[in-house]
Amino acid sequence: MRRGVGLAAFDHQEQAERSYAELSSELSRTQVEHLHSQLDQFRTALAHFASTHRESIRSDPSFRYAFQQMCSSIGVDPLAGPRKGGWWAELLGLGDWQYELGVQIVDVCVSTREQNGGLIEMSELVRLVSKLRGVSGGGITEDDVVRSIKTLQPLGAGYQVVEIAGIKMVRSVVKALDEDQTTILAIARETGGRVVESDLIQRKGWTRNRARAALENMLLRDGLCWLDAQDNQAGRAYWVPSAMHWEI
Amino acid sequence: MSLSTHTTPSGYLLPSIHSAPPFFTEQPNPTTQSTATEQWIRLILGYARHRKLFVLRVEDAEAAGSEWDEILRNERINRRILPDHLSNIIATMVSKNLASYEPAKQTRSALIYWRLPEEWAEVLYDWVVSIGQLNTILTFYDITDPPLESALTNIPIPLLRKAIAILGKTGRSQMIAIADGEGVRFLARSR
Repeated sequence: MRRGVGLAAFDHQEQAERSYAELSSELSRTQVEHLHSQLDQFRTALAHFASTHRESIRSDPSFRYAFQQMCSSIGVDPLAGPRKGGWWAELLGLGDWQYELGVQIVDVCVSTREQNGGLIEMSELVRLVSKLRGVSGGGITEDDVVRSIKTLQPLGAGYQVVEIAGIKMVRSVVKALDEDQTTILAIARETGGRVVESDLIQRKGWTRNRARAALENMLLRDGLCWLDAQDNQAGRAYWVPSAMHWEI
Repeated sequence: MSLSTHTTPSGYLLPSIHSAPPFFTEQPNPTTQSTATEQWIRLILGYARHRKLFVLRVEDAEAAGSEWDEILRNERINRRILPDHLSNIIATMVSKNLASYEPAKQTRSALIYWRLPEEWAEVLYDWVVSIGQLNTILTFYDITDPPLESALTNIPIPLLRKAIAILGKTGRSQMIAIADGEGVRFLARSR
C-alpha cells in the first residue's frame, strides 16, 4: 500500500477516519434499534408471563422459587426499583409482595426481640410470619425470607441472616456476632439452650476466664441469654432462648 | 428438652415459659428482667383470678405449702422463685397499680388487683342491685360471706372499703356506724 508522504496524506487519513466513524455509528444505530425491538419483544413476553402467572407467583412458594431462580440466571432483578425496570416489578406486583413480607419479618423480629435478644431461628421466624399472614396469605419459604431481608438492606436496620452450626438464624440487631458468641450459640443449639462454663472449657479448650467473659457479655451486654442461678450442677447456667425448644 | 405448657392440679394452664429454668432467676440484664417481670405479673394475675386469691406475701416464696405454690414453684424442673425476686415483682406490681401493699407501710404483703378497685366497685354495686338490697344497711360480713356465694365472697375488707369509697364518690354508697361496727348503705344511682 502506498503511503502518503505529503500534506495531502493528512487530509486523506482524516477523511478515512470520518467515514469509519460514520459507518460505526450507523452500525451501532442499527444494533440499538435491533436491541430495542428485541427488548420490546422480551418485555411483551414477560408481561404476558407476569399477567398469566402473577397469582401463582404470589401464592405458590415453589413456583415463586423456580421463577426467582430463572430471573437470577438471566440476570433480571424482579424487584428492581422504578429507575431500573420498574415496569417489571409493577406488572408482577412482586415488589409489593416482597416489601409486605419484609414488614412482617420486621414485625416478628421486633416483637420477639425482648425475649431472644434479636436473634431468631429461621424456621421459627417462618412459622411466626406464616401465622401473622394467616391462611389466605399463601405459604412462604426460607428463600422468600432471605430475599425480603435483602430488600430491607437499604434501610440500614442491620437485618442479617447468619449461619450457626448449620442452622440459619436471623439477626435483627446491629451488632456483629463475634466468634466466641457464634461458638456459644452453636453449643446452645445442641443442648437445647443451656450453656455452662465447663462446656466451653472442656469442648472448646477455652480458659475459664474466656468462657466466663463471653457468657457474661452475652448475658449483660447483648441480652442474648438468660441466667439460671439455680442450676444443680453448675450453679450458674446460661440459657439461650433462641435455641430453646418452645412448644406454644 | 422441650418447653411446654402444663396444667396444674387446680386446673390452671401454665405458660411454657414456666418450664424454663431461668424464669425462676432474677435477670441481671434490665431489658431481659423487665420482660421476665411482665411474664410473672401476667402469671400472678391470671392465677389469682383462677383461684380467687387476693393476697400475695413475700413469705409465700419462702417455704412450700402456700396457696401460690403451683406458680411460685416448679417441682418438675426443681426451681422456685426466691423471696427477694418475688418482693421485687410485687414492688413492680404496686408501681403499676396492679397491687397495693396491705397493710400500708410495709412491703411483705400486698393485695393483688386481678380486678381494679374501680371494677370491684361496679361488681359490688351490681351485686347489691341484683339481690335487691338497695337502701338497706349491710354489714361487711353480709357482703364477704353471703348465704349464696357471690363474686365478692371472701373479698378482703381493705379492698371492700376501697370499692365502697369509690361508690361513695358518685353518691352510691354511704358508710354508717352501727351497734357492732360499721355498715354500709347502697343508694340508687342519682340522676
